[in-house]
Amino acid sequence: MTDVLSAERPTTLSESPWAVETHDLTKRFGGRTAVDGVDLLVPRGCAFGYLGPNGAGKTTLIRVLLGLTHADAGTMKLLGHDVPQHRDVALARVGAIVDEPRFHQHLTGRQNLQILAAAREPAAKERIDAALDRVGILHRANDKVAKYSMGMRQRLGVAACLLGDPELLILDEPMNGLDPAGMVDMREMITSLVAEGRTVVLSSHLLDEIERTCDAVAIVDQGRIIRQGPITELLAGATLEVEIDCDSPERASSLLQHNTLSAQVSVVEESLHVSLPAGTTRDVVGEINRLLVTEGVSVYRLQENHASLEKWFLEVTSRLGDNQ
Amino acid sequence: MSASTAEIQAPRVGQFAPDHRGNFIPTWGMIRTRIMELRKRRGLMIALIVVDIGLPVIFLAIRLISHAVSPKSFGPAGGYDIFSNLVAGVMFVFGFIVAATLGCTAGSVDLSEGVFRHLVVTGRSRVALYFARIPAGLAILVPIVLVGFAIVCAVCVIAAPTKLNYDGLTVPSGLSKPALVSWAEEDANAGNVVCAFNYRGPINVPVPCGPNGVVIRKVGPGQAPAGPAPTKAQVSALAGKIAAQDYADYHNNFLSPPFKLIAQSFLWLELETAIGFIVGLGLASLMGQRTVPVVLMIVLEIVLTPLLATNHIPHLINLQRAIVGIATAHVEPNGIPTVFANNHSGGGSGLIPETTLVAYLVIAAWLVGWTALGAWRMSKRDV
Repeated sequence: MTDVLSAERPTTLSESPWAVETHDLTKRFGGRTAVDGVDLLVPRGCAFGYLGPNGAGKTTLIRVLLGLTHADAGTMKLLGHDVPQHRDVALARVGAIVDEPRFHQHLTGRQNLQILAAAREPAAKERIDAALDRVGILHRANDKVAKYSMGMRQRLGVAACLLGDPELLILDEPMNGLDPAGMVDMREMITSLVAEGRTVVLSSHLLDEIERTCDAVAIVDQGRIIRQGPITELLAGATLEVEIDCDSPERASSLLQHNTLSAQVSVVEESLHVSLPAGTTRDVVGEINRLLVTEGVSVYRLQENHASLEKWFLEVTSRLGDNQ
Repeated sequence: MSASTAEIQAPRVGQFAPDHRGNFIPTWGMIRTRIMELRKRRGLMIALIVVDIGLPVIFLAIRLISHAVSPKSFGPAGGYDIFSNLVAGVMFVFGFIVAATLGCTAGSVDLSEGVFRHLVVTGRSRVALYFARIPAGLAILVPIVLVGFAIVCAVCVIAAPTKLNYDGLTVPSGLSKPALVSWAEEDANAGNVVCAFNYRGPINVPVPCGPNGVVIRKVGPGQAPAGPAPTKAQVSALAGKIAAQDYADYHNNFLSPPFKLIAQSFLWLELETAIGFIVGLGLASLMGQRTVPVVLMIVLEIVLTPLLATNHIPHLINLQRAIVGIATAHVEPNGIPTVFANNHSGGGSGLIPETTLVAYLVIAAWLVGWTALGAWRMSKRDV
């Protein structure tokens, strides 16, 4: 029996194309479903944003993936290994921050990493200084964590992730507590980690950061993933906004509403805001300009606004309803 | 943040070698870093050292100074009695409490300080993370108990009295039974032996006892105190008889603690310390916090156990026997006062009845049971 088990045990990293793979993953807390049948596919070697409003179930999904809590239903794989069956093998090449990184306050940053490295493979101990150096706190490594700022603890958390030379990093709100310079540093580090071939899953409520940092994104709301894919593809499905300054906004609004452009038009502070359906080409913008000029409206400025992830996010999540 | 580093390189797909981190046995590195984590808790370590080492040292220091200043008013600082009372009265109870406090700390701080989840996401077995705490805690406690105990032993041996005070009478120490009887029968000692030594049986001769000329006649139960003064031969014969009867008790009285008793007492104290630590560890892991388990452990040791150790409660006797403190008191070495029983006979006398085998089984059950409970809870807990 032992031989059979040993034979089935994975000894090398899987060649699965997915760093994270879940099917119908469900987690309930009493009567509340925090993770509701999630099917998530995170490709290897990319920065993947996991985006959702507060209470959407982002952290819960991460905790389930990492074995911090059990799933009620569904299957999941990390780096191609079934979890929780081969949790030890899968997590050996995973680094993660869940919620805010917390450490023993009475120990130094280095001592905290020594404790975590001891739980990993022997080589992890040799990576402590390099990890501290990489996150920029090597010079404070011998200070007690109690003296660290929130941003430094965040960096120490990332250093802890790097101890296992991870192929997959799961970072839950890594920008929390970082000053602007720290956020730039963190962004650059995530980019460099991805450039090295690692996969970074970034859970954040900072939409702008996700847009700047990630290649692909999953939008989660009320425990369900409602959209996922490359950011460029997802944004292609968003509405096109055009802002127009002209001499007669009311007349221009009337003209646009009575043609066949299917535009939603509103006048805000003497400016005309035109919202065109997803998939509208830029030719339509030219057509709008032509129509207004032909009808004698003087156009002073016409600006095409590319849809931001934030606006698209608000469109597709329940948060849109909250804001209205 | 530096973008380049030699040590952390791009992942090596396909080159991963399993390191058995799913195994429940902790590595030496895990134990070593756990020792460091506990040892660096300065307040806890100071409290531990103060109680386990400081209290006996202060007590002995006061006795040493007092005896040096006024030898007639204050007896020697060391000796067998001081040793046995310190072991049973101070080191046993306080040792348990500090061990339990350390155990509760080791069992809860990873959770309360949010580090346990960092450890879990390494993929290391949760049970191994739990088990690493046991040798780590004991590695701190055992030497501290050893140091405190060694100081007590050293003072009690070096500063032991030169004459044995037995039942209020100065008696030569280390006598054989015939030698004690012979000494008791001597004219100079016979009257004192009859008056001072305990004796179970009829006394047929009225012996005058008492200081300053006040005559109290020591008699047997139901006998009249009056009567003719006994002859020297009668008193001598009675003294020899009493000494022979008391020899077994006398034999257990020493100027200084014998080596065998020292060794047994050390092992017994370490057993109590290990019990305190392991039960505290399991209880705190089960509850996920430190304060309430510490309070519960203190209540168990200084309230519940003394109450239940000597009072036989009908129908609950087996429950009383299952209390670990009572079981540990039953396996204490002969020669030191029975803890919880206010009884100087030692060896567990005065406690509710329990066989040594049952006592050891109770102790084993507590150690295994609390370890299993703690490990189970930590392996199932959401973090």
